[in-house]
Amino acid sequence: MLNCQVGLPTPGFYSLAEDGTWSGADVDLCRAVSAAIFGDPDMVEYQSVTSAVRFTALSNGESDMLSRTTTWTAVRDTQLGLDFTTVNFYDGQGFLVPADSGITSALDLDGATICVLTGTTTELNLADYFRANGMTFTPVTNENVNVLVETYLGGGCDAYTNDKSGLAARRSAFPDPSAHVLLPETVSKEPLGPVVRQGDDAWANLVRWTVFGIINAEELGVTSANVMEMTASADPNIARLLGTEGNIGEGLGVSPDFMVNVISAVGNYGEIYERHIGENTPIGIPRAGTLNALWNNGGIIYAPPFR
Amino acid sequence: MTLVFEPKANRPAPTNTVGFVGWLRQNLFKDIPNTLMTILGLYLTITVVGWVLNWALFNAVWDASSRRECLDLVGRSGACWPGVVEWLPNMIYGLYPKDQVWRINLGFLALIVWLVPLWMGGVKSKVAIGLSVVAFYPFLASYFFLGGDKGPIWTALVALGLWGLVWVWSTALCERRTGLSIGTWLAQRFADADNDIAQKRVRQAAALLLFVVCVGLVSQWSLSEVRTQFWGGLFLTLVISGIGITFSLPAGILLALGRRSDMPAIAMLSTLFIELFRSVPLITILFMFNTMLPLFMPAGTEVNQLLRAIVAVCLFAAAYMAEIVRGGLQAIPKGQYEAASALGLGFWQTTTQVVMPQALKIMIPTIVGNFIGLFKDTTLVSIIGLFDLMNMARAVGEDSDWLGLFIEPFFVVSLIYFVFCFAMSSYSIGLERKLSAGRDR
Repeated sequence: MLNCQVGLPTPGFYSLAEDGTWSGADVDLCRAVSAAIFGDPDMVEYQSVTSAVRFTALSNGESDMLSRTTTWTAVRDTQLGLDFTTVNFYDGQGFLVPADSGITSALDLDGATICVLTGTTTELNLADYFRANGMTFTPVTNENVNVLVETYLGGGCDAYTNDKSGLAARRSAFPDPSAHVLLPETVSKEPLGPVVRQGDDAWANLVRWTVFGIINAEELGVTSANVMEMTASADPNIARLLGTEGNIGEGLGVSPDFMVNVISAVGNYGEIYERHIGENTPIGIPRAGTLNALWNNGGIIYAPPFR
Repeated sequence: MTLVFEPKANRPAPTNTVGFVGWLRQNLFKDIPNTLMTILGLYLTITVVGWVLNWALFNAVWDASSRRECLDLVGRSGACWPGVVEWLPNMIYGLYPKDQVWRINLGFLALIVWLVPLWMGGVKSKVAIGLSVVAFYPFLASYFFLGGDKGPIWTALVALGLWGLVWVWSTALCERRTGLSIGTWLAQRFADADNDIAQKRVRQAAALLLFVVCVGLVSQWSLSEVRTQFWGGLFLTLVISGIGITFSLPAGILLALGRRSDMPAIAMLSTLFIELFRSVPLITILFMFNTMLPLFMPAGTEVNQLLRAIVAVCLFAAAYMAEIVRGGLQAIPKGQYEAASALGLGFWQTTTQVVMPQALKIMIPTIVGNFIGLFKDTTLVSIIGLFDLMNMARAVGEDSDWLGLFIEPFFVVSLIYFVFCFAMSSYSIGLERKLSAGRDR
């Protein structure tokens, strides 16, 4: 069994359905890794802990990997005994304000009261941004997103800040979503990706190349629907990805056709995105034109080649 | 002529001092400040109750498939119950497989059945029944809840649980009919009345026979394994707090006696334990047991996460309970100890027959207060990733269909907590009244 750590339920990335199953973009990474190892995406045991204990639960061996919108930072990568494998989602912090407030830029927020989640990089970024621009603010903090949103909707703060993906998701559930606008500024870089414990390089490689594999699959047009036909493809890139040529799987300690299992279980990067956070989901974050589009499509989602 | 004093009949009390009007004048409208407070209180009550009723009942939505539908129907003015209804099974049973939920129901039903004889008239061995719950019920319950393969030892323990339940009821029924416990009754029927040894044999044989039957029954049971990762909701809250409460009282009594002991080693160890666990917040202890402990254990050893949380809660609760019990013991006048010694009672007799019964009676309000506190404190386990009632309620508002729905589930959770805590508190008041009947006469 793969012990995969996700966070407290969050729509789009790791959400818990009422029948007890987990789903979401980050959950699909757990499933992808499980499919790569066991050939079965359901050999995963999900652990859901608060952000405050996520790294301890990884370093004490309870979790094998962390797939829960965790921002890659220098301190976390170098001082906590962790290994950030790669990035599967580029996020950035933004602000949500009521449309009738007349605020059109984050620079108008001097002296504002701002609702912010505790225990995450969000809080620190907020302080940095205001300090850098010589502005002041009063934070209203809580560990529960719903409490913050309720405070914001009740007029308890002038703006609500979080990663933009989270802001979009929350706004979709407001009584009147059009009465709130996202400010244009992105005040931080939030590269999110799966994390493993330091010291097991082979394991880190496997997680990293599973993610690279699903990105390459999208680039090469391999989807969960056509993966079986693609195994007969003459394109050497596809043949190497699906293990009909070369022995990339062997170097990772898994079967040569591990990517066939992964892709038939969860699909390629684009499929995962559209299934859980794309425009046709309740979260509804458009992909085109953002950092999360493929590199040859205007974004920066780029994976080293399978060769 | 003799003058006879004939008192006039008493005039009736003024109508405004008796009956309902009198009570109102006396209690609610005595003078101006009192009247003002009454009006203010009435106004606040009507406003708040009216608001809650409007929100929870009159404006509420009962039929919708997502929160968006609710918002379109009534906006924020009414509650959106369908989300809570859909999640209610999870809030009660956690992620326990839905087709296995009957096991949880059966487990709790067994507990209720086990406890019923304690409230039946004519049952004498109530202490033994109470002890049997603590000693044997956990085996039966943990097999119902956990399931899985059972080796010979586990089979024997579960059979012991079943044995306990059967014994409790047979002895309760027997005592109601004949006034004798089942063992004594059997012994008198099947052995010579004067032959103590033969009577003892009969009793042992009966117990053994019942046990063998139980083993036979239990070995036929086969329940699929449900790992503790799937436990959650009210069920998990009850398991953690139930074990914590059951463990804390006896452990607390022992620790309190240990701290007052004349033997320096025992006194010091008890004091050390109590002070250590009392001076650290519960959340820290949970953290220590859950995230730090695995770091110190040899690689490969795995102790169940739920078990670690339960042990942490038990130790914490025992430390608090110890100080409550010590407080109660100090309230017993020295004369009681001296009187007991004068009667020739030893330490254990003095403690169990003279001191503890009096001390425990004084301590009831504090003990129950502590139980209620512990019941509510178990919500902290949500932080270490166990899906207790609180955490499950929080998950409702993160489901993509019900995103943002969190006042409604928390409202339901607070009602559930209220029911349980109020029941405990009412029971303790009833118990106090019953036990202090002699003193308050």
